[in-house]
Formats: sequence, C-alpha cells, structure tokens
Amino acid sequence: MNKRRTVAALALAGIFVALYLTLTRVGLIGGGALVCAVGSCEVVNASRWATFVGLPVAVWGLGYYLVTFAVAGVSLQERFGDSMQVSRALVFLGATGFLFSAWLTYLELFVIRAICQWCVVSALLATGIFVASLLDYRELQRLAKTQV
Amino acid sequence: MAANPSGGRRSRRARSASSRPNSFYLILGAIALVGVGGLAYVALKPEAAIAPPADLPADLAELGPPQPYVRGDPNAPVQIHEFADFECPSCARFAVITEPDVRTRIIDAGRANLSYYDLPLPQHLHSYPASHAAACADEQGRFWEMHDRIYEAQDSWSTGRTNNPKNRFRDMARTVGLNLSQWEECYDSKKYQRRIDANHAEAIRQGINSTPSFIVNGQVLRGAISFDALNEAVTKAAAATQSGDTAR
Repeated sequence: MNKRRTVAALALAGIFVALYLTLTRVGLIGGGALVCAVGSCEVVNASRWATFVGLPVAVWGLGYYLVTFAVAGVSLQERFGDSMQVSRALVFLGATGFLFSAWLTYLELFVIRAICQWCVVSALLATGIFVASLLDYRELQRLAKTQV
Repeated sequence: MAANPSGGRRSRRARSASSRPNSFYLILGAIALVGVGGLAYVALKPEAAIAPPADLPADLAELGPPQPYVRGDPNAPVQIHEFADFECPSCARFAVITEPDVRTRIIDAGRANLSYYDLPLPQHLHSYPASHAAACADEQGRFWEMHDRIYEAQDSWSTGRTNNPKNRFRDMARTVGLNLSQWEECYDSKKYQRRIDANHAEAIRQGINSTPSFIVNGQVLRGAISFDALNEAVTKAAAATQSGDTAR
C-alpha cells in the first residue's frame, strides 16, 4: 500500500508543478507575458514543442497528474487493495508519463537547448510514479503467488 | 486494525501492511500547503531585476545611444518603442498577425511612429545572425522588408531547424531585392554588432526583460499584444500629449 501512497503523493506534487507551468504558459502568473522572456523555462514553455495535439504540454501534464492522483486515490480504497487491474492502470499511467517526460527531456537537451528546472522536477516525479507503480505491481504479484 | 464493518473480504495487503493513514494524510496536506504557498508566492512576488548579459560591457554607456529602426513620421505625436527578438515566436506572432494592422491604421495614418530595438535573447542561437541580416538590409534601405521576411519564415531558420541560418537569410535578401554581395559582406563582417548591442542595452536600461515588449509614452505593454491594446495605448498617449500642448 505504501507504494500506492507514494504514487498519490508524487502525483499531488506533480499537480502543483503542472499548475505552475500551465499558469505561466497562459500568462496568469509571472508578469503576465513571460513568453520568450529571459529564462529557460519561458524559452521551453514558449517553444513549438510546448504544444501537443493542440493543447499546451503543461495542460496535458496537469491532466495526467490529476488522473494519476485520482487512480492512486481509488487504489488506496481497501476493496481495491489486491486489484491487479488498478495496479496495471497505475503502471500504464506511470509508463506513459515516464516515456513522455523522457521525450520532452530529450527535446530540451538536444533540440531546444534550454532546460526548464520545473520540467526536470516533473520528469523526476513521473519517473518516481513509474518506479513506485512497478514496485506495487511486483509486490502484488508476489503476494498473489504466496497466497496460492 | 479494526474488523471490516462491511463484513466483506479484506485485502491481503490491508491485513499485512503497516499502514498509518494519518501520517499519509499529513504528508498530502504538507505537499498541498507547499504547492499552494509556492504558487501564491510566485503570483505575488515583484518581478526580479535583470542583470546585463555577459556579452555586453559592464558600462552600457560605452555603446553609445541606441539606433532603433524607425518606421513612420519621425515627428508623429506618439512614439511606440518595440523591443523584440527575431527568433521569439511571440514576436513573430505580433509581426505577422498584428503589425500589418498597426502599420495601416496607426503608423501610416500618422498617429504614431514605431522604433524597433533588437533584444536578442541568449537562448535563441540564431537571434544575433537574424539581427545582423536585418541590419545589413537596413544599410540598403530595406530593413522592414527583411524584418517581415525573417519573421514570416521564422520556422525555416530558427534554432533546431537549421545550423546555418545564413543560407535562409541570403534567400530572403535575394527576394527582398538587395545587392547580394554587399549584403553578404556586411553580414559576414558583423559590422552592426555595436548597433545591435546598443539597442539591447536600451532594453536593459528600460527594465525590459521579455519579448516582445512595447513602450508607448512611458506605458509598458508586454507580450504579443492585440491591435486593440496597442491602439488604446496610442489613443491615450495622443490625448495626453494633446492636453499637454493645450496647457502650455
């Protein structure tokens, strides 16, 4: 259960990071017009890769963390404690976030050549979620075997 | 652990886990507190002052006065100062979408003139080359034509698209009708570095730290603002100038 709690806690932290990036992107915080401003986060956030399928990447990140937090919350309900489906859903979410973050980090390092520290924090959180969800899945598998 | 009130199946983990729900919710509460506090701090803190970039002299006065590119009547009642970076996507959005209207309805109408200052951001690797390309077009009296081409085709020469933007700029210089050998010699020599730096220094003096930014009679407008926003600022500035004239 502790791994699922870790997922929930990391996802909650991710919600705030993504919210910050989203609010910066739409200009509600950080001076109102940080587009192209001096500072790597603004460069990354204003680059053409900051939009994915018509929506800012920060908004996708916010949605991702909200869904992950919700699923982690559900997974903590006692009746889902042994649920492999919920565990698989967490692994799926973890893997999606991890791969997407890896792609974005690659773009930052080699294409945009600017590193946004908040994107790095988000990537670390997504990695943590992935690892915790994998450990949860393995623990469940092990428990299932010992019960048979 | 208390007995399951529903009388249903308890999960194997629930029985075995050393779960402490209270400390878990405390941790969640702490994360939420830090998150909300952090966002509130960022939203409320004053903007940080900007430090002059390393490639400019410590004493900006050494560069001399700025030499912006001016469009419109030099004696127009209102002056619009634009600080922009050729590689900035928001600047391109303003130049391509909004500026045509600004030219027709404000500049050409004689209500204001516009001065363009280079503000090449260090993260944009091809900003300086673009500023050189435009400065060398200005030498042949075609700055604004080149300015428009550079912004319109930003996607074709910006960082990540090409490692050699000069080829793209040369194509633009040809399209604009410049004397190519003269333009190329000028571009390669970087002879307008000081002009670009002096324009950049003016941005620092004015406390401008994002692009595009506009100053209309002392009022600072940040971002790729709409025609209406700029038009309103010009109208207000004109009214202020007029009432000042009447008072004299």
